[in-house]
Amino acid sequence: MNARTEIDFGVSLYSYGGDFLVTMTLEDCLADVADMGATGIEILADTHIPGYPNPTAEWVEDWHALIDLHCLTPTCYSSWLDTRLRKDRTLAVDEAVPILVRDLELAHRLGFTIVRPKLGVVSLDLIPDPVWRETVKRALPKAEEYGIRIAPEIHAPTALRSKIVDDYVDLVRETGTEHFGLLIDTGIFQTEERTGTHSDSVYIFGNPEPALREQVAREMSKPVAVDPADLADLMPYVVHVHAKFWDMTDDLMDPHIPYDTVVKALVDGGYTGSLSSEYEGARDLYRASDMLRRQQTMLRRLVAERAAVAT
Amino acid sequence: MLETHVIQTKGFKNVGDGEATGFQLAVRCPYYRGMWASLIEGVEVTVDGETFDSERIRWTLGRETYATAELGERTEARWAFEEPALLTVERPGGLDPGLHEIEVAVTWRWSYIPVEMQPTTNISNRKLVLVR
Repeated sequence: MNARTEIDFGVSLYSYGGDFLVTMTLEDCLADVADMGATGIEILADTHIPGYPNPTAEWVEDWHALIDLHCLTPTCYSSWLDTRLRKDRTLAVDEAVPILVRDLELAHRLGFTIVRPKLGVVSLDLIPDPVWRETVKRALPKAEEYGIRIAPEIHAPTALRSKIVDDYVDLVRETGTEHFGLLIDTGIFQTEERTGTHSDSVYIFGNPEPALREQVAREMSKPVAVDPADLADLMPYVVHVHAKFWDMTDDLMDPHIPYDTVVKALVDGGYTGSLSSEYEGARDLYRASDMLRRQQTMLRRLVAERAAVAT
Repeated sequence: MLETHVIQTKGFKNVGDGEATGFQLAVRCPYYRGMWASLIEGVEVTVDGETFDSERIRWTLGRETYATAELGERTEARWAFEEPALLTVERPGGLDPGLHEIEVAVTWRWSYIPVEMQPTTNISNRKLVLVR
């Protein structure tokens, strides 16, 4: 099979959640990603950079040496815009801009070309805090200077046909910027119920009545079942993809997400970014490395098959 | 390196010069990322059924030590993912050497979860040996 595609196969180090700093150092994770033949590296800034947001110069030097040693390419630097940093009020634009700019600077120092600020929300259906728009606009010159694209994440339960996505696309249309786009988390395409452990199950969300808590827990794991064909109109704006998964079967199938149609939509849409594997299943030690290899094998097969059809 | 468990084996000890004034616990950040100190809303430690609330617990984050009530103003201090917080719990006389049943409940805010479902609490339980 001689696929003609520029899709990059990558891994988000979020996948190693149970193993990171328990059975594996950062170097072990990078070596594991390289060993499975993946090339793109995504990190969580607040997790994987010791001393964040002020790593030592030595650490930054070591990071570049490891990236070179393993022939990896930094893709997405995932950060957070903690709009609830203060208890009494949410952040003002003037406070949010320096936070986003600080992450753009650190991402650039580490060689990343995409920054995902996870935005605080203001509603049950995850409408982002309105400060996002002005904050991003003011940070765009820095993003431009560094050649970085800022990409908020479209994550379940948000659909592609939604006001949230429309508003993001509207910013691109309004400014004409090439430094803002969408990060698609493929969890939105989930069609099958999950029964296994979710890594967030250790948390008790909120204090209200158990009924509401239960309802939200259900909402959080419910398949949103967005049609991957909805990606077609949005492809010009898609800069990064989290290839979400919770499990892989022994015959290398994803039991929850229809990856054949997801990959079809991406390949047919001319996607040339990274498929960044994001394992979010059980956090048993040593499980992530195996699960990642299973999913990467499936993704490679599906991309090659679709690319062969497309050419 | 860290242990999987939020409450770490290493770091559980009595503190104080001469007569113990309390005890200390090393607790790793129960989130999948490090967090800003100002996001922390409270902590409760229970040892063998005796509960200690936020007012009796001080936090050591990196080189600095804070009262729990001070954390809300510390928007630049971090509970780093890679470095457990040292919780110093006030208890004149400390704890007796031996096995103790410990529970730690930490409460903090997530910005990207609807406010109706906030704050978030993580409760961890573990039996740990205090040597001295």
